[in-house]
Amino acid sequence: MDEIILDVFDASFRYPNAPAYSLKHINFQVRKGEFLVIMGENGAGKTTLCKMLSGIIPHSQEGVYFGDVTICGLNSKEHTLPELCQHIGIVLDDPESQIFTTEVLDEVAFGAENLEIPTDEIQRNADWALQVVRMAGYEEKDPTRLSGGQKQRVAIASALTMQPEILILDEPTSQLDPIGTIEVFQVVRELKEKYNMTIIMVTHKSEEIAQFADRVLVLHEGEVLAMDTPQRIFRNKEIVDKAWLAVPQVSMVAVELEQSGIPLDAFPVRLEEGVEVFSALLQETEARI
Amino acid sequence: MIKYHAGESFLHKLDPRVKIIMLLILTILVFVTRNFPVLGLVFLLIMICWKVSGISIRELGGYLKLLVGLVLFVVLIQTLFQGGETILISPIIPDFVPLIGGMGSIAVEGVLFGLLLGFRLMVIMCLMPLIIMTTRVRDLALGFVKLGLPYRYAFMITTALNQVPVLQEQIATITDAQKLRAFTAFEDGGTLQKLKSYPALVVPLVMGSMKKSTLIGTAMDVRSFGSRPKRTYLHDIAMHGADWAFLCFILAFCAGMFTLNVML
Repeated sequence: MDEIILDVFDASFRYPNAPAYSLKHINFQVRKGEFLVIMGENGAGKTTLCKMLSGIIPHSQEGVYFGDVTICGLNSKEHTLPELCQHIGIVLDDPESQIFTTEVLDEVAFGAENLEIPTDEIQRNADWALQVVRMAGYEEKDPTRLSGGQKQRVAIASALTMQPEILILDEPTSQLDPIGTIEVFQVVRELKEKYNMTIIMVTHKSEEIAQFADRVLVLHEGEVLAMDTPQRIFRNKEIVDKAWLAVPQVSMVAVELEQSGIPLDAFPVRLEEGVEVFSALLQETEARI
Repeated sequence: MIKYHAGESFLHKLDPRVKIIMLLILTILVFVTRNFPVLGLVFLLIMICWKVSGISIRELGGYLKLLVGLVLFVVLIQTLFQGGETILISPIIPDFVPLIGGMGSIAVEGVLFGLLLGFRLMVIMCLMPLIIMTTRVRDLALGFVKLGLPYRYAFMITTALNQVPVLQEQIATITDAQKLRAFTAFEDGGTLQKLKSYPALVVPLVMGSMKKSTLIGTAMDVRSFGSRPKRTYLHDIAMHGADWAFLCFILAFCAGMFTLNVML
C-alpha cells in the first residue's frame, strides 16, 4: 500500500471574482488502496479540493490555479479531463444533477460510451458495477423514480463503469435519509475491502468513517489543518474544536475521560473499540476498589 | 405528462428513424398546405396513430388545456387582425365609443385564416407528444444520430425532453413553497394577479435551473461527454420489414396529400 497514486503539491485555487483563495498551498499524497476522508466546516474548501483532485479544476472550472495535482502519474494540467476520467471517478453530492438518461443501464453506460469503449466491455463493466452497488435487476428502471440512496448508488456505478483507480465521493450522503446513508456506506465499504479501491470521501458522518477510514484530512479555511489517522484526529481537541468536526460518541467519551485525568489503554473511534476499552477500564477500577 | 409511456404497440416498436421522418415530413406538409381537407386527413392519421399506440390522449393532461387555449387564442387574434374583402362584422367597436369607436372589422378570410392556423397548430401539437410518448429517449437520440445529426445535438434534444418532467416537479415545489407562505395568487388570483405573480415563480425557477445546469455540465465533463468525435452505443436500432413498410406508407400518404393539396 505504499505506491503513491495521487500527489498534490502546493496547490492553490481562487474562483473568478472571489476576494480570497478557496484553497491555499495544499500538499498531501494518497497511497494506492487508501481510504482518505476529507472533513471540515462549511466553506472550508472540501468541494473545491474534490474538483481539483478530479481534474474539473483546471479543465472545467475557471479560476486562478497554482501548483500541481498528479493523478496516477498524470499531471492534471497537462492531460485532458477524458484522459484523467479513466483513472479517477467522481460522484457529486446531488444525485439529481448526475442523471442524464431514462434507464439505469443507459445511465451507468453513459461515460464508457463517451470513451468509445467497445459495447461488450461496457456491458461487462456495467453489470459488474451494478452488482457492486447492489442495483442489479434495476437496469430498465427510470433513475428519476429511484430513492435518493438508489440514485446515489447508480451514480457510483456510473463512475465505476469507467474503471477508475481512484473514486472521489463528495458528500454522497448529504441529501440522504439514514437508510440511504447506510446503503451508500455499505457499497463504499465493499469497494475498499473487496476491491481495494483508492477512495477519497468528503463526509461529516464520523461514526461511519471511523469504521474504515485510513486517514482523515482536515481542511480549515482553505488550508490543511491536519492529516492523520481517525484516532489521532478525533483525540486532538484543538483540531476538533477549530474545524467543528463531528466526533464519534465513543471518542467524545474517551476525550472527556482523558481530560478528567483517567488514562485509557487505547483511544476508541468505533463502538466495538469503545466497548473493549471502557470494559477494561471498568474492570480495572473494580479490581482497584 | 409528456414522457415515454412503455408499451408494446406497433408504434412503440417502430424504428425511431421512421417516427422522426414521419414527424418532419408531416410537419412540412401541415405548414405548406392551406387545405382543410388535407389537414383533416393528416389529423385523422394522427388520431389513428394515437389509437394504435394504446395511450389515451387524456394522458396529456395540462398540455391539452394549453393546446386548446393556444388554438383559441390564435384563431381569435387572426380573426380580429387578419382582415379581408368579405366583411362579416364592421365595425367591431361601436361608433359611440370615444377615440376608438368604429374601428376594426371581421372578414370571412380572416376567420378562415385563423381557423387554418389554429388547425395547423393543433395537428402539430398532437403529433409531437405522440412521438415522444411512444419512443424511448435513448432510441430517439440514436434515431437522430443514425439520421446524421451529431450526437451533441441529439443529446441536447433528449436532455431537454428529460428535463420537462423535472421542471414540472420544480414548478410544483416552488408553488407549494409559496402557498405555505400564504402566497396563493397562482391559483386563486385573477388573470392580472396571476401575471403579476409570475416573477415569484419564474425567478426561483430560473435561478434553480441555472445552478442545476452548471452541476449537470460538471457531471457531463467528468463522464467524458463530447471528448471524442465518435462514441459507442450500448443499444442499437435496426430497420425491419414493418419499419420499411410503414415508412413507404407514410411517404406514399404524404405524396398523396401533396398532390391533393395542389389539386384542390
